Amino acid sequence: MNTEIIKKLSEAVGIGHLDGAKAVAKEELGKYCAVRDFGSIGLIGEINQNKEKTVMLEAHIDEVGFIVTYVFDDGFVKLKNVGGNDCRILPALPIVIHAKTKTPAVFVSTPPHLNKDNGALSIDDTFADTGLGEKAKEIVSPGDFATFDSEFTPLGKNRICSKSLDDRVAVACLIEVASRLYSKELPVNVVFCLSEQEELGTRGARCASFEIDCDEAVCLDVSFGDAPDVPSSKCGKLGGGAMIGISPILNRKISDKLCLIAKEKEIPHQFEVMGGSTGTDADVISVSKTGIGCGLVSIPLRNMHTCLEVVDLSDLDSVCDILENYIISGGAL
Amino acid sequence: MIKLLKTLCEIPAVSGREDKLREFILNEVSPYCEAKTDINGNIICFKKGKKTPLKKIMLDAHMDEVGIIATLITDDGFIKFQTVGGIEVGVMLCKGVTFENGVKGVVGMKPVHLSNADERKKFPGEEALYIDIGATSKEQAEEVIKPGDVAVFDSKVTLLGQDKIKARAIDDRAGVACLITLLKEEAEFDFYATFTVQEEIGCRGAGPATFEVQPDFAIILEATTAADIHGTDEENRVCLLGSGPAVSFMDNGTLYNRKLFDAARTSKVLHQTKNFVAGGNNSHAISLSKSGVATIAVSLPCRYIHSPCCVADLGDLENMLLLVKELTYKIGLGEVL
Repeated sequence: MNTEIIKKLSEAVGIGHLDGAKAVAKEELGKYCAVRDFGSIGLIGEINQNKEKTVMLEAHIDEVGFIVTYVFDDGFVKLKNVGGNDCRILPALPIVIHAKTKTPAVFVSTPPHLNKDNGALSIDDTFADTGLGEKAKEIVSPGDFATFDSEFTPLGKNRICSKSLDDRVAVACLIEVASRLYSKELPVNVVFCLSEQEELGTRGARCASFEIDCDEAVCLDVSFGDAPDVPSSKCGKLGGGAMIGISPILNRKISDKLCLIAKEKEIPHQFEVMGGSTGTDADVISVSKTGIGCGLVSIPLRNMHTCLEVVDLSDLDSVCDILENYIISGGAL
Repeated sequence: MIKLLKTLCEIPAVSGREDKLREFILNEVSPYCEAKTDINGNIICFKKGKKTPLKKIMLDAHMDEVGIIATLITDDGFIKFQTVGGIEVGVMLCKGVTFENGVKGVVGMKPVHLSNADERKKFPGEEALYIDIGATSKEQAEEVIKPGDVAVFDSKVTLLGQDKIKARAIDDRAGVACLITLLKEEAEFDFYATFTVQEEIGCRGAGPATFEVQPDFAIILEATTAADIHGTDEENRVCLLGSGPAVSFMDNGTLYNRKLFDAARTSKVLHQTKNFVAGGNNSHAISLSKSGVATIAVSLPCRYIHSPCCVADLGDLENMLLLVKELTYKIGLGEVL
């Protein structure tokens, strides 16, 4: 797996109208197929070989972050969550506010003499410090977005950490799959959909799946990775392979085919069984238009929705291998 | 001095492991003074001035910073740890760390999605925390980390606006930067400068260093909590960024020498008093050395102290240097008795 692309994708910004991550994805995916930009819906790339059937591979391009709601005279800034942030990590957290100029800031950490009950503050009770004093109002405005200020870092032998690996690792996998498929004769057309606003409630995918004519879809997202404080029944193992989703909302034939391919080709995989909603774009794509059969493959990820998410690169290879073979086999429906 | 501070903040020096910083300081100051190192690793410098004061003057800054120490490697290859010095749990969650040998890690935590309403509102206990270094097994982790290895939190040194700096370990690289600068300049009066170890784990280095120097007067160059955060009541702000160095009258370790305090208060250099009785520093150990030492602390106001992202004002740092210089001069002249 090309970590250079993951680094570029994860360090880029993809929130609201800020389309740095989209620009990186468009450039990389554009090497292998025609890519169209659908504004706030997302990016759509197509390997069209004039086949009867089309399979959509989908991942989301947006990330969690913050939006400025008020700028005080003393240079402190009030923000709201964009997506489901974990507010326990906010004390002394560095962020970048994408204001008139890129403005670094730090969420305040309450000194011990003022935080006697040691409670975590919600986003409504905390502030970010721009250090700009009264000048802050000239530079930062309500409506400016902010994102984690983290650097892509290799971890151990085969793992990486960065912000926004949810869901840029999946985007990187789709680009990798496109690079493997584009020059081959395929039994189906392939559409790559990179949706916006997943973190706000799978909004981009709702419209994107209306826009795209496809016969089936496989969504690619991240899921909870194993960690000492995570119940083993609720997570996948990092390095344990692609997590193949099984749920009432997913198409059973697609799930079965994904499992079969993983088994036959001896690709490391594990199962992720959910009793209903998957919390991914598959939830809305499966009921788009008159319904689209949908599968889900996930990458185990630690510290979800924080400044430093962790994945194992071998799991990305497993995901790419399964999707490549799935397309070559012509899909399930 | 700003460039010096940036460089200093990037050198890891967890209490007891100040070696890299000590080497850097010795390289910087050795051409300008007599410098020696004691058994605990304190650097003790004697700077010859134009005149010898009647009373011996010592300036102190501590080299060490808060950090973490690996205590155990779990069967899954995670690193359990304890803090070295006081670090709030909240500032550690999901932050990156770097061990002395360059190994990177992240303080991991259960995702918010799997946490219940109660868990979301409070920080986990320190004993529940672990570091993920990307190891897939205990054996793989043991290849690079062993119990006792220390790490610091990752933090890019960044300017906030034109006049503020965000960095790790401003406590007490601010003091170290001032001391190095003073040692490099020509001095009016002789003085001793100590760069001490192990302040963050109970002011342990300063005692022996002071015993060796035997000063009459001591000025402690420090960093202290600034709680001038939006929404904080005026009486709880301790001190403010941009209002000059904070001069202490009392904290949890020391009742400061009143004559030195008054001498500082009459200075024309922009300064403020530390308006809260909290915290403590090397002054405690220094003021109680032998039969007692007249002691004053001059501190750089610092927001989010002991976190990976401390924020301080660079103008305050310049004024801190000026105030310390003026106090040293007044003591040298015999104006403070």
